[in-house]
Amino acid sequence: MNSLVRSTAVRLALGYAALFVVSSLVLVGFLWWRTADYLDREIDAVIVADAQAISDRLRDFGLPGAIETIADRVSHAGDEHSIYLLTDPALHRVAGNLEAWPLQVGSTPGWYEIELVRAGKVHATRGLFAVLPGGFRLLVGRDIQDRVEVRTLILHGLAWASLGALGLAILGGLLLRRSVLHRVEAINRTASAIVRGDFSQRVPVQGSSDEFDRLARTINSMLERIEHLVDRVRGASNAVAHDLRTPLAELRARLEDIARARPPGEAVHEEIEKAVADIDRVIGIFNALLRLAEIDSGLRRSAFRRVDLAEIVGQVSEIYEPLAEEKGIVIAAEIPSGAAVDGDADLIAQAIGNLLDNAIKYAPPNSRVSLQIASGDEGRLAIEVADHGPGIGDSERARVTEPFYRGDRSAGTEGTGLGLSVVEAVARLHGGALEFRDNKPGLIAVLTLPGAGARDGAETDPLRVIRPMATPPVSAP
Amino acid sequence: MKILLVEDNQRVARFVQNGFREEGHTVDYADNGRDGLFLASSERYDAIVLDRMLPGGVDGLGIVEALRKTGNKTPILILSALGEVDERVRGLRMGGDDYLAKPFAFGELSARVDALVRRSQFAGPETTLEVGDLRMDLLSHAVARAGRQIQLQPREFKLLEFLMRHAGKVVTRTMLLEGIWDYHFDAQTNVIDSHISKLRRKIDTGFDPPLLRTVRGVGYKLGPDE
Repeated sequence: MNSLVRSTAVRLALGYAALFVVSSLVLVGFLWWRTADYLDREIDAVIVADAQAISDRLRDFGLPGAIETIADRVSHAGDEHSIYLLTDPALHRVAGNLEAWPLQVGSTPGWYEIELVRAGKVHATRGLFAVLPGGFRLLVGRDIQDRVEVRTLILHGLAWASLGALGLAILGGLLLRRSVLHRVEAINRTASAIVRGDFSQRVPVQGSSDEFDRLARTINSMLERIEHLVDRVRGASNAVAHDLRTPLAELRARLEDIARARPPGEAVHEEIEKAVADIDRVIGIFNALLRLAEIDSGLRRSAFRRVDLAEIVGQVSEIYEPLAEEKGIVIAAEIPSGAAVDGDADLIAQAIGNLLDNAIKYAPPNSRVSLQIASGDEGRLAIEVADHGPGIGDSERARVTEPFYRGDRSAGTEGTGLGLSVVEAVARLHGGALEFRDNKPGLIAVLTLPGAGARDGAETDPLRVIRPMATPPVSAP
Repeated sequence: MKILLVEDNQRVARFVQNGFREEGHTVDYADNGRDGLFLASSERYDAIVLDRMLPGGVDGLGIVEALRKTGNKTPILILSALGEVDERVRGLRMGGDDYLAKPFAFGELSARVDALVRRSQFAGPETTLEVGDLRMDLLSHAVARAGRQIQLQPREFKLLEFLMRHAGKVVTRTMLLEGIWDYHFDAQTNVIDSHISKLRRKIDTGFDPPLLRTVRGVGYKLGPDE
């Protein structure tokens, strides 16, 4: 029972039933009140007229006149709906169709509602008690049993109707509850299964496109997103563990070797230097992860400044040129002047650097890597880095930005496995995007950033002024 | 050189102290902020190395702020745990001169402290730089070794200038990236190495002794062998 009351559907149905009963009560009650009031006033007027007439006769013709009138009225009334009784001051019957003065009528004149038994049946009667000249007492009344019965009928009818409404409401509530519960229970089951760790569960959709179906679809797409994210996190932490295990295993082996073999001093030195290099690789992975987390947190946005994208692209290209030259690769940079962006110069440089590094890594020797800035829609700026390497297959494109994802082409190459993740995070931080296109053959990586509009007077970055390690300024003599 | 080290981690402190002492420096050490600030304001140091997080009521930035307010211009390098890259900005704005994230190589710390001290002692304008028989004319941008002219690309010139200004000292790859191009980012090590090997071919090939040397695990050093 308790669970029934707690069910929303049942509570709803009960509420409706109560509302139904109350509103019918108000409606019927009001109608009854107006009708009864009207009838009461009608009857009262007739009684007063009767009493007045008898009183007039008594005054004009004395007792015999009054008795005659009463007898006349009693015989003319025909039915038993009217009562008349005239008594002397000692309450002895003088005339009328009542045997004796009813006990229910008190000693003061006025209106009374009394019950008279006639032919073994109780009749509700409304009566007026008046004292006439000479101390005579007159009681004139009308039977109102019909009205009382109608009232009882209505009240009983209302009571039964209320009971019926309540019953129907409970039944409706139970039915509603069953159909709603059935759907809610399905959602509940799915959610519980997911809590237990089964991410493959989905809420069933009935195909009726009702509210529940729409809710189910929303929940399902949310679950899909969560499953994807969880997979990604799981994959990333697996990859972190795996990527860290390799350098740590090498480090361990190296140290164990030294401990066991106890080589001469010079060799120990060399081994320790290699061990430090192993540790540096581990630290490098951690640094890249932390940097990624920092970019994703959006904290760096507070350090955004107006920066010259053309200058950054030019400098990064200069930084990577010797590396390209070692492979005989030419970086063909096409950079228009005055492409301004609101952002973090270091991060943008890092992103472009990572793209260039990838391009140089995968481009065949003696080829061209092209680097250009193109203007897109709505003032967006697209930094395009194109190589003639093996490219990335369609199926892989969505995955290469996942942390530690290693595609077919990266097998056996160096790197933290976070380069493109960082580029994508930088793009996201700046409200831009990273996309890949086919260069036939090769890859075009497109980093899109929102342009800073055509406003002049780019602010200088205060950090650039106090940045350490800059060459000492040569002041004018 | 007299250096003040304020660091609460005993192991890191010992490692840094040993390193500096081996290089022939004097090191004063405080393991909390209050003592650190007291030493820093009562003694004269050539450089101060500060941890960012310190017990004792005064943290690293607090010391920097207090010193700078009293007009103390001693070069300060701030150390900090990983993951606080954003803190770098704050540390530098407060008046720190350089910033290094833990874990760090001692070589990197030593190189940065050397550079800071040299910068603060820098006296006047120079028109020529000389290291061994290598000569650079800053006005005409001419470079010659043993009297023989060497043609350098502009980026090679900037690199060599930086190395010559820090001659005899180790410079790390990050220092080069920051000092020459003014960017603070993680470039793959081979990026800087390729710059160095190109420059090396031009200034060292055919000459003796080699001037540009690689310091394993740390960076590079320009200057004749000691």
